[in-house]
Amino acid sequence: MDAELMQREFMYPGHVACPGCGAAIAMRFLLKALGEKTVMIIPACCWSIIAGPYPQSALKTPIIHCAFETAASTASGVRAALDMLGDTETTVVAWAGDGGTFDIGFQALSGAVERNDNFLYVCYDNEAYMNTGIQRSSSTPYGAWTMTTPGRDWKKMRKKNIVEILAAHRIPYVATASIAYPDDFIRKAKKAKEIKGSRFLHVYTTCPTGWRIPSEISIKIARMAVQTNIFPLYEVEDGTRYTINYRPREYLVREYFRMQGRFRHLTDKDLDQIQKMVDEDWQRLLSKAGQG
Amino acid sequence: MTAEIKNRFLIPLSWITTEGNKTGSWRFLRPRFENKTAPCSAGCPAGEDIPLIEMLIAQGEFKEAWETILTENPFPAVCGRVCFHPCEGFCNRGSYDEPIAIHTMERFLADTASRYDFRASATDTPSHKERIAIAGGGPSGLSAAWFLSRLGYQCDVYEASPEVGGVLRWGIPAYRLPKDAFLQDLRHLEEKGVGIVTNKRIDEDFLKDKDDAYSAFIVACGHGKGQKMGIPGEDNPLVIEGLDFLKNIREEKSVGCEGTTAVIGGGNTAIDVARSVIRLGGKAVIYYRRRRGDMPAFDEEIRMALEEGVEIFELLSPAEIRRDNNQLLLSLQKMVVSGEESGRARVVPDGKKQETVRVDRVIRAIGAKPQEAWMNPPDNGADVQRLSHSCLVYKKGQKPVVYAGDLTNETKSVTHAIASGKQAAIALDVLFREGFAAVPKKLDLCRIGNGQAHSIEIYTGGRRKERSSHIVEFSEVNTDYFTFTPRIRPPLLLVEERRRSFNEITLKISAGIAIEEAGRCFNCGLCNGCDNCRLFCPDLAVIKNGEIRTINYDYCKGCGICVVECPRNAMSLEEEENT
Ligand SMILES: Cc1cc2nc3c(=O)[nH]c(=O)nc-3n(C[C@H](O)[C@H](O)[C@H](O)COP(=O)(O)OP(=O)(O)OC[C@H]3O[C@@H](n4cnc5c(N)ncnc54)[C@H](O)[C@@H]3O)c2cc1C
Ligand code: SF4
Repeated sequence: MDAELMQREFMYPGHVACPGCGAAIAMRFLLKALGEKTVMIIPACCWSIIAGPYPQSALKTPIIHCAFETAASTASGVRAALDMLGDTETTVVAWAGDGGTFDIGFQALSGAVERNDNFLYVCYDNEAYMNTGIQRSSSTPYGAWTMTTPGRDWKKMRKKNIVEILAAHRIPYVATASIAYPDDFIRKAKKAKEIKGSRFLHVYTTCPTGWRIPSEISIKIARMAVQTNIFPLYEVEDGTRYTINYRPREYLVREYFRMQGRFRHLTDKDLDQIQKMVDEDWQRLLSKAGQG
Repeated sequence: MTAEIKNRFLIPLSWITTEGNKTGSWRFLRPRFENKTAPCSAGCPAGEDIPLIEMLIAQGEFKEAWETILTENPFPAVCGRVCFHPCEGFCNRGSYDEPIAIHTMERFLADTASRYDFRASATDTPSHKERIAIAGGGPSGLSAAWFLSRLGYQCDVYEASPEVGGVLRWGIPAYRLPKDAFLQDLRHLEEKGVGIVTNKRIDEDFLKDKDDAYSAFIVACGHGKGQKMGIPGEDNPLVIEGLDFLKNIREEKSVGCEGTTAVIGGGNTAIDVARSVIRLGGKAVIYYRRRRGDMPAFDEEIRMALEEGVEIFELLSPAEIRRDNNQLLLSLQKMVVSGEESGRARVVPDGKKQETVRVDRVIRAIGAKPQEAWMNPPDNGADVQRLSHSCLVYKKGQKPVVYAGDLTNETKSVTHAIASGKQAAIALDVLFREGFAAVPKKLDLCRIGNGQAHSIEIYTGGRRKERSSHIVEFSEVNTDYFTFTPRIRPPLLLVEERRRSFNEITLKISAGIAIEEAGRCFNCGLCNGCDNCRLFCPDLAVIKNGEIRTINYDYCKGCGICVVECPRNAMSLEEEENT
């Protein structure tokens, strides 16, 4: 990363994210890419807390805290207001967790992107409602323990494929990004910034607290998610053009699962099953990218 | 209230930052920057700072890299050619794909130094009144002189031959070590102002120092006398001593090698003799009493010798030599393996089975010993300290004497000789400043990672002293930041050309290739400023000021990401004291 990017920072220390929080790292990277002329729209999510209680703020950019289901519609409104004021320079960012994106804010998001409203929606995905105490969301992966999928009732449904859903809206830009791949992340954020219309970034953000992992492996887990093909890095332009950004070493998913307390109960058979699911998804992605 | 005023108060605007929250109080683990010791550097007898050298090469800082070698080893051009590079055997990258070509990198730096005429920058050292005499101008004596002069002492090297260098000048053949390469290294010593007196053979009386000219002596005369086989017929003039044979070649005397030469032995001397015979147009056959795998010569040398046409017969021990006209009949006793001793086969005669071969001469290369008995260090006693690479003797009423190099080293090699010279210099410095008894303890303090090697930089309180002695293990390297890449192989002269001439075999590599190879190095335990710590910190608690990175413990929550994401284990995570 070049020295200038390394140096510029739009976040303050002293925020109250848990130690090793992936969502805090993701915000740092995003703002490094977007710069100061950014408005953050944050619905209920971990970041509502991390950003600090009024009158404190962890960010150098303005933040609008909005209701859980309204990130996308608030972003549409702020964009319209800025346009009226003649400010076309400022980037409007909706920054929501997986709950606010996959579940509660889903209709507002679908509506706004169907209109191709001009903003960047970033979903930082920690795969459950972490802020309220680890409840499952439709982003929680198959096999995971949460407070609402405890014991033998671990989640038996697959994670919703939000990227495909967004791509199906044929918006100009949808991409996945990971905190373990900062260069790729920042390149995508910068690219998204330059595009007009609805743009969506799906960012993998480790949650040491909710995933029952030691905080120091926060980045390592994120990297393994990519290396195992559990969270491939790719872009979809205009809903049709797929580019896979990283060809992983194809580690076995087993290694990823074994490191996390939320998957502790899974048997070897379960893991074989999951490996199949991951392989299948990867094959689908390859064929979409014309590399199948 | 006007609408305007109302608006101003109703739009919430944060006006202070979160910096008031000192989240450092949450911490129960504490990361810190801590450079550690790389296994290669602990495994290098000369204690070179290999991770730093490779880092500097990767950055294109060739002069700095070369000077980093010089700090611990005055012979980069020599060692870049003939060192058997034990460092590479310890290299962590070997557990990943292939070890770094550390040896080739050293040679590259020496070639670069010669090409751009690098000069060792003068280091300011105090001048001491003590003056030291060194008997023997081989690698151990010359290294002792180099390190002593760096520590501020005047020294004189006395050498029996017309030129210094010992085995480097008169033993190892030019195809492995050209004369110019040795002279290139010798130049720093000369520029350091070391006094060199050649054609001066020292005898035992010299140590008595009748003129009181010196404060201490170093005996570094090497093992210059070939050992005898002790068999009938050995005194025949067609039986030649290997060291003499090699010396004659280096002195450019004409040496006839027509016909078949039997070479007896399995060490470097035997291999070098046989390969020289081939180059002089003869046929060379090595007879070795143990198995080929037991030969003390370096594997690489044996492999090349075979390529060049040397024949090796194992489990044959010379029994008798008879003259037959202008030839010799060499009888060889067959041996069998009867067990193992220190990793090699123990062999005994296989009954009376013998075979006899007809050869034109026999060259004996079965080992060497000191030329004279007084060169051997004395037996143990209260006034004798047997150190890892030397022997320090301080008898009452006499000047201190250090025995060094092949005379004391268990492993007889050039780097061990250099290590020995360094140890002799440090030992004398400690002795002069703090007394005889302080020597072992002081030496202990400048060991690298608790290994056998010493560092003069650590001894003199340089930056390397700050590194912890923990030797970085492969499992502590974050290999996610590296990709598989094959190690470079330097180009070699074609076998056909090798058979015909004494031209140097190993050729040069380009700077681009060297930079790439050095870039493979994990730089185990040494921060190279990659900034991963700063990049991934969720709490913006890693601060960079100039090139110095620090942790802001006001905010660091102790998540430990920086420590895990450091590719080279240059950080540590410890329990917080107050929890
Ligand atoms: C043929 C051969 C090949 C080798 N190849 C390798 C190799 O590839 N790699 C490697 O690491 N090691 C190699 N070695 C071993 C290595 O060369 C020695 O271990 C090393 O040279 C020992 O250094 P030294 O200073 O103790 O002794 P030497 O190199 O033997 O030097 C001793 C010096 O003292 C002088 N001297 C002796 N007596 C007196 C006296 N009375 N007065 C004044 N001067 C005196 C001698 O003339 C000589 O110059 C090889 C050795 C031989 C013989
Ligand atoms: S990778 Fe580099 S620093 Fe580590 S052991 Fe090998 S040469 Fe030494």
